[in-house]
Amino acid sequence: MTAADPLLVETIERLLASVSTFDEVEHAEATGWSAGVWRAVADAGFPWVGTDEAQGGSGGTLADLAAILHAIGRFAAPVPVAETAMVGSWVLAQAGLAIPGGPISVVDQPGELRDGRLQIAGVGAWARHAERIVVVAGRTVCSLRPDQVEIATGANVAGEARDRVRVEVPLAEIDHAVADDADVWAAARRRGALSRVIMAAGALDAMAQLTVDYTHERRQFAKPVATFQAVQHHLVTAAQSAVRARMAADVAVRALDSGGGEFEIAAARVVVDDAITVGTRAAHQAHAAIGVTREYALHQLTRRLWAWRHEWGTTKQWRRQLGHAVATGGADRMYDLVTG
Amino acid sequence: MIRFAPVELTESERQLQREVIAFLDAELPRGTFHPGLGFNAAIDRGFSQRLGAAGYLGMALPIAYGGHARSAVDRFIVVEQLLRWGAPVGHHWVADRQSGPVIAKFGTEAQKQRFLPGICRGELGFCIGMSEPDSGSDLASISSKATRDGDGWVLEGTKIWTTSAHEHDWIIVLCRTTPRAEVDDKRQGLSQLIVDLKDPRVKATPIPFIDGTADFCEVVFDQVFVPDELVLGEIGQGWAQNTSELAYERGGPDRWLSTYMLVEELLRRESATGGGVSDELADLLGEAIANYWNLHHLSLSVARSIDDGGAPAVESSLVKEMGTRFEQDVVTAVLAYLDEAPNAADGSTFGRLLLTSVLTQPSFTIRGGTNEVLRSVAAKGLRPSGVSR
Repeated sequence: MTAADPLLVETIERLLASVSTFDEVEHAEATGWSAGVWRAVADAGFPWVGTDEAQGGSGGTLADLAAILHAIGRFAAPVPVAETAMVGSWVLAQAGLAIPGGPISVVDQPGELRDGRLQIAGVGAWARHAERIVVVAGRTVCSLRPDQVEIATGANVAGEARDRVRVEVPLAEIDHAVADDADVWAAARRRGALSRVIMAAGALDAMAQLTVDYTHERRQFAKPVATFQAVQHHLVTAAQSAVRARMAADVAVRALDSGGGEFEIAAARVVVDDAITVGTRAAHQAHAAIGVTREYALHQLTRRLWAWRHEWGTTKQWRRQLGHAVATGGADRMYDLVTG
Repeated sequence: MIRFAPVELTESERQLQREVIAFLDAELPRGTFHPGLGFNAAIDRGFSQRLGAAGYLGMALPIAYGGHARSAVDRFIVVEQLLRWGAPVGHHWVADRQSGPVIAKFGTEAQKQRFLPGICRGELGFCIGMSEPDSGSDLASISSKATRDGDGWVLEGTKIWTTSAHEHDWIIVLCRTTPRAEVDDKRQGLSQLIVDLKDPRVKATPIPFIDGTADFCEVVFDQVFVPDELVLGEIGQGWAQNTSELAYERGGPDRWLSTYMLVEELLRRESATGGGVSDELADLLGEAIANYWNLHHLSLSVARSIDDGGAPAVESSLVKEMGTRFEQDVVTAVLAYLDEAPNAADGSTFGRLLLTSVLTQPSFTIRGGTNEVLRSVAAKGLRPSGVSR
C-alpha cells in the first residue's frame, strides 16, 4: 500500500497541536462537545478522508485516514472523525446513500427490521451532535435524522459523549438502501475496531513520550528519576506498548487496504488491549502522584485508552473469535496465520 | 517515540518461505521426530548438514566461502520456520547465527577459508565463550587471560554456561590480552581467540541443567596455546567485536518462538476428536496467535533495518525483552488451561514439551543477556522530546 502523504501528516499534527489543547479537551469533556476542534478538522476535510470525492468525500487513501486517526489519538482530540470517516461515510457509500456535511454517529449494535419498522437500542458516539445517525440492519443501511431517534446522553470513562440511541420507526420514513456487501455490518464493525486500534496506538505513543520527558525532568535524590533502573523499566514497558500497538495498527491497516484484515484486526485488538493494560500502568507508576491529577495531561491519554479498548466489540469477543478461527484452521495451518 | 517500520515481504522472500516449508515437510515430516523448544532443540549433525546442502545455512555469508550472500530478512525467514517446526537446530545454531557472521566480519582471509565453508555445510559447531563464573552481566570484568608466547598466545581461564561445549568443535573466547592494571578502562585490552575444543588442554565438563539434561558446560582452558592465525580481528578490539556479535544474538525469532510448539501441540491434541474447541481454549489460542503475529512483525522489522544499514541495538533489546517474557507467559497460560499435572511418564509430544517448558522457562529471560541488562540498554535509547538519538 502507499504510505500516508507526509504533508497531510504534518498538517494534521500541527492543526491538532494548536486546537486540541489540554484546556480544550477538558472543556469538551465538561460540555460533551468541542465545536472548535470539530470546525477545525471539518474545514480541513479530515472527517471525509478515505471516501471518494465522487461519493461526497475528501478523497485520499486509507493510509491517509490512518495517519489522521493516529493523530486524533496522540492529541486526545474529542471529535467523531473515526465515526464519520472510518465507519459512517464508508457504510453510507456502500449503500449509495448521501454523505452529510456534518458529524455521523454509527450505532454500535446491528439494528433489526420487524414488521416494516427499524428497531435498535445501542450506543452512538456523540450521537447528540450528529447530523445523521447510521444504523445497519442486515444488509439495509439506514441514515436517520436526529428527530427520528431517541437519545439519552452518556459518556465513556474519558468523558467522551457515548449516547444511548433508541429507534422504533417505520422503514418507509427513513433514508435507507441495501448495501452490495451482505456482510456490511461485520465489515463496519471491523472498521470501527480498527479505528480504536489506530487511535490507541497514537495515544500510547504520546503517553510513552510524555513519560520519558517527565522522568528526565523530575529530580529526586538529586538526579533525574529516569536514571533509576526501576524507573527505566517502566519507560521500557511504556515504549514496548507503544511500538506493539503501532505495529499492530500498521499491519492491520495494510491488510484492510488490500481487501483482507479479518485476522489482523482481531489480532490487533488483542495486542492493543494488553499494551494498554501494561503501558498505562507503567506510565502512571513512573509519573507517580502528578499523573493521577486532572491538572496534568497524562489522564487525557490514559482514560481514552481505558475507554477505547472496549469500543466496537470487547477484547473478549475479538480474542475468542480469533481463537476459534485458529482452531478451525487447525494445528498444521496455525503458523501460516502468523506470517500472513 | 521509537518506531519500527512495518515490513512487507517481497515475492522472492515469500518464495523462499514456501521453499523452506516444503523442505521441512519433506525432510522432517511431522510425527517422525521429537520437536524441540526453539534453539534449545536437539543436536542432529545429519539434519544440519542436509540444511546446509539445501542452502539454508550461512545465508548472509559471502558466496566465495560457501555462503549465499542473502539478507538478514532471508535468514529470518529460514530460522523462523525451523524454530516454529521444533527442528533439531542445536548443532549449527550458534555457528550460523553469530560465529559465522563475526568471522566473516573480523576474520582474516585464511580464517574465512578455514571456517566459513564448514559452517555453511552444517559441519562445524561453535560455542560462545563470554560468561565466566565471576562475570555475567558485567562481562568486561572477565578474568580469562592470554599471554604472549612466541607466535601466539597462551590462554588460561574458565568459561561457563557454554552450551554443548563437550560436543562442538570450536569456541570464540573473549579474554584479556593486556592486564587490567595497564589500561584505563576495563573494556580495553580484551581480545577474541578462536579455540579448538578438541585441544587436550581444553576441558569441557557438563553442568547438569535444571531439566536433567547435560548440554550446559563449564570449559577450563589450562595453558592452551592459540597460534596467531586464530586471533579473531585485532588484539585489543575484543570488546567492540563482542558487542557487535551480541547484535546477532538479540531480537530474532529465537527470542519469542521457544514455546510455540507447546501451543501448536496443545491445539493438535485438543482438536484430535474434531468438532471445534472450547471457548476457554479459543481464548488461549487467540491471545497467543495475536502476540506471535505482533512479535513476528516487530522482529522482522529489526531484520530489515539491519539490511538497510541500521544499527537497531535498542530495537532488538526491546524485542528480546518482551519476546522472552512472552515465551514464559505462554507456559503459564497453558498450565492455567490444563486440568492435569505435567508428568514425566507422559511420552506424548505435548507431554514432553510441557515438562521441558515448565523446567527450562526461567532460562528464556536470562540467556543472551538478562532482561534487566536489556532494559538498561533500551532505556538509553528512549530520548526526551527534542533530543536526537
